Amino acid sequence: MKYFDLLRMSASNLLRRKLRTALTVLGVIIGTASIVVMVSLGLGLRKSSLEQIEEYGGLTTIQVSSNAYYGDSSSSDSEQQRIDDKVVESIASIPHVEIASPILEMNLLARQGVYEGWLWVRGMSQEAIQKMDMEIKEGELPPAGEGLQFFYGNQVITNFYNAKTNDYYWEAEEAPDVDLMNTPIFVIFDTDAYYQSRSSDGSGQTVSPPKKYIIPTSGLMAGDLEDYSENCNYVFADIDALKAQLKKIFKNKVIPGQPSTKSGKPYKEFYYEQVYVRVDSMDHVQEVQQEIQNMGFNAYSNAEWMEQTQSQMGMIQMVLGGIGAVSLFVAAIGIANTMMMSIYERTKEIGIIKVLGCDLRNIRSMFLLEAGFIGFFGGLIGLILSEIISLVINSVVHTASEGYYEHLSFIPIWLVLISLVFAVLVGMAAGFFPALRAMKLSPLAAIRNE
Amino acid sequence: MKGTKEPVIQVKNLYKIFKVGNTKVRALNGVDMTIYKGEFCAIVGTSGSGKSTMLNMLAGLEKPTKGEVIIAGQHLEKMNENQLVKFRREKVGFIFQSFNLLGTMNAIENVALPLTFRGMDKKTREAKAVKMLKLVGLPKHMKHRPNEMSGGQQQRVGVARALVLDPEIIFADEPTGNLDSNTSAEVLNLMRKVVQEQNQTMVMVTHDNHLAGFADRIFHIIDGKIVKVEDRSEYKEEEE
Repeated sequence: MKYFDLLRMSASNLLRRKLRTALTVLGVIIGTASIVVMVSLGLGLRKSSLEQIEEYGGLTTIQVSSNAYYGDSSSSDSEQQRIDDKVVESIASIPHVEIASPILEMNLLARQGVYEGWLWVRGMSQEAIQKMDMEIKEGELPPAGEGLQFFYGNQVITNFYNAKTNDYYWEAEEAPDVDLMNTPIFVIFDTDAYYQSRSSDGSGQTVSPPKKYIIPTSGLMAGDLEDYSENCNYVFADIDALKAQLKKIFKNKVIPGQPSTKSGKPYKEFYYEQVYVRVDSMDHVQEVQQEIQNMGFNAYSNAEWMEQTQSQMGMIQMVLGGIGAVSLFVAAIGIANTMMMSIYERTKEIGIIKVLGCDLRNIRSMFLLEAGFIGFFGGLIGLILSEIISLVINSVVHTASEGYYEHLSFIPIWLVLISLVFAVLVGMAAGFFPALRAMKLSPLAAIRNE
Repeated sequence: MKGTKEPVIQVKNLYKIFKVGNTKVRALNGVDMTIYKGEFCAIVGTSGSGKSTMLNMLAGLEKPTKGEVIIAGQHLEKMNENQLVKFRREKVGFIFQSFNLLGTMNAIENVALPLTFRGMDKKTREAKAVKMLKLVGLPKHMKHRPNEMSGGQQQRVGVARALVLDPEIIFADEPTGNLDSNTSAEVLNLMRKVVQEQNQTMVMVTHDNHLAGFADRIFHIIDGKIVKVEDRSEYKEEEE
């Protein structure tokens, strides 16, 4: 029997009992839609929590810090634990490490008009700055070899306060009138001296106020004051330019934040509190992290958080999928029931085609195809329905959460394909035993005269 | 003339025993018969005589308890169900008492159905079906569904369906049981005519002695045994 004839016969058998077919298909529609929507919710949750992790420092970054600053300073091996350029180089040579950049962190005071604020300046290598995917609103990233220039994060302005009225941004929720781009900013590097000079009256010993420097602005990070991201609070600078500037200012004195020898003299080279490490993929983060820890440094990444989130999301997905699967299972029973009914009704007809010489396998295929059709159309319409439900959920959640959840329900292509194939398979599985039964029906039923 | 006839159906010492509770019912009790090519045979008996069981055996719808059924050189009692289906598809045409047309299909589709099972493409099989329907005298009912036709017309479609395969043997189970006597005679004459034209073998089961009179040879069956074989071919030749 030709395949097309089989298809045609199956389809026409289904169309003969439109209402019953429609009801059975409806069962599959609901089953498929519930599975797809449930899984899509799980996927959406997972996706948005990964996005959240990304905001809090990326999925592939590792922060390396020396434990020398926190631990005991007495032991001599704490000196070896300090991070210098050699350590950074050896971290960079670990497989899968894409970028390893020292972070030279300085807390500086900045003034513009009546406003004063702390700047958390991070000196980093050019490569790291270029590859950190910072979006630029104005200007450019801090260039190399053009002297010290600052690139401001989008929330840096919120660190400024009115020095006369003591109005902070977080109290007034009013942005300070500071123009980082076009108006010069005075930066104080020697903040200790600055505070000493202000509080020195009366103590007899006077400290002259430190020099203020105008540091040109290279650019601003994109984003509003409310937009949080990993780097929004920092000021970035080229590390070499920052080092040069610091050496020029402090000359032979100890630079704040840098360690000193026992006699109080500065070291020749710079030591870093942190190293910014980026790994080529999410899967290698833990491996690299372990290796850095073996070198004797603190290494922190979001890998553990992520893993926890992943397994949590996996659980949620399984529970949601399970709930959906129950309804598809009920639908499968519906299919089996419909097929059984249809076989009882068609006992005589099946007998006739057997007497007329219809191959047994063809009879089985015919019934399997019918069940498969029910599964296919149920799956197809179920997918369309779940796409609609997903749209509705997303728009409702989007407005309810004020834009926090972008896609609570997320239906990727693979889910579409898998659920369609699954619906067909469920249909055929449900139709399998009825089909076997049809195949084994006695042809004598046909010649029996009722 | 008789000596050159080749046997198409050979039945040797056939038994069919049903178990009803503890008692054994011998539906067929040692039947021997031979039917030759081109013959129109009738098996006549009252209800319960075993004539329907006989037909089921010949068509491979039921397995014999004992004995041999050889049709066109093939031993039916040794075949499995798949082979039996294949055998019916290729060698046998069937005419039923209650017509057994598929209600969802029109006359052409019904006639073409056995060809569909053979895997013939739509164009060819429908052309054959149309030709057959013309042969049985239903040129105006090609597109009619069974419920739009009279009993006689339906049985003509049934005859066309049995003949469209160009089978070696046609089995007819009370083909006129649901028809009035005038129509019965028409249908039987049609069957006779077609079978003679195409030199096919036909086996008909009936309880009606009068209808059996259309056949060349009549096997009388009582309690699972053939008690009498009537040869009417000479008589008929005289008649002609």
